[in-house]
Amino acid sequence: MEEYAREPCPWRIVDDCGGAFTMGCIGGAVFQSIKGFRNAPSGLNRRLLGSLAAVKQRSPVIAGNFAVWGGLFSTIDCTLVHIRRKEDPWNSIISGAATGGILAARNGLPAMAGSAIIGGVLLALIEGVGILFTRLSAEHFRPAPPQLGDDPTQLGPPPPGFSQSYQ
Amino acid sequence: MNNTDPDATYAASYSSKDPSMNVSVHSQQNLAQLSPYLNFNPVYLPQSQPEFIFPEGVARQRGRFELAFSQIGGSCMLGAGIGGIGGFYNGLKSTTLAGHTGKLRRTQLLNYVMKQGSATANTLGVLAVMYSGFGVILSWARGCDDELNTIVAASATGLLYKSSAGLRKCAIGGGIGFSLAAVYCLWSARDKLQDFRQEYNPA
Repeated sequence: MEEYAREPCPWRIVDDCGGAFTMGCIGGAVFQSIKGFRNAPSGLNRRLLGSLAAVKQRSPVIAGNFAVWGGLFSTIDCTLVHIRRKEDPWNSIISGAATGGILAARNGLPAMAGSAIIGGVLLALIEGVGILFTRLSAEHFRPAPPQLGDDPTQLGPPPPGFSQSYQ
Repeated sequence: MNNTDPDATYAASYSSKDPSMNVSVHSQQNLAQLSPYLNFNPVYLPQSQPEFIFPEGVARQRGRFELAFSQIGGSCMLGAGIGGIGGFYNGLKSTTLAGHTGKLRRTQLLNYVMKQGSATANTLGVLAVMYSGFGVILSWARGCDDELNTIVAASATGLLYKSSAGLRKCAIGGGIGFSLAAVYCLWSARDKLQDFRQEYNPA
């Protein structure tokens, strides 16, 4: 079942770390190959070698950054779920803000605050889009409205010959 | 029938000595004469395997793609742990040698740990991504999932990872991948190998 495809909370952290790493790896490979291609000296061979070198050097680092972001986000999310004992979009928003803040900690307090605001806004947008999609697709699953003959309190008095025919 | 056996007087018709009873399990003599229901084939006992209910259309084993993310995340974290410990050790050695103390030493140690930790984490993570990618493509192309997929995916990962370091290193990488996968497959299929050995070595 797709809705139960997410692991329960402690193992979710490892899953999210891996997912983020994969995203960073593939995205980093694509972007760095283009960047390396363009920044290499002319000649197709040199350009291809340049693109390969850029992918080998930079994409593991990008993937690692994504993995740290994803793992930290998931850890804070699971911690909030455990503390608050409920799952709602606020957990994700607070986790996004906290992750952004923690990862900018080396740059001082103003940078932390700015990064936290950016992380929070980003997650709020993502959650908002998710809720929008859920509301739109809920039309699909709405049960049919009750028909005329379903509700016995709406029938009115029985027809005149009713009780006699029952016996 | 005419038995002169003194034990046979109690329940002579259910004795295991009677050839027409077709007894497959021979319990002790006293039990066999106590009850006819103790002579049964143990195959009819309920097996002690767990019986799960699966929704329709779902494979019994978790597919490679579902396992992929947790394998990648796990190897990333494992690499971070190993690299962190190695970096801590190296940092301790070099800061003690250089005689650093206090805040400088703490910052230096932190730098060593982060640098080595992230390097090993990235390396193991990239290897896991390559292995999972090959495994998923192979199991999708072949339509089935078995140990051959594991071995081929691991060898291909080793070859690809070292492919830009020259032919010899590439071959060594492929060989390392193949041997690791072979050891893992032999270990994970040890029950099946046990039966294999008993079948071909009757001694």
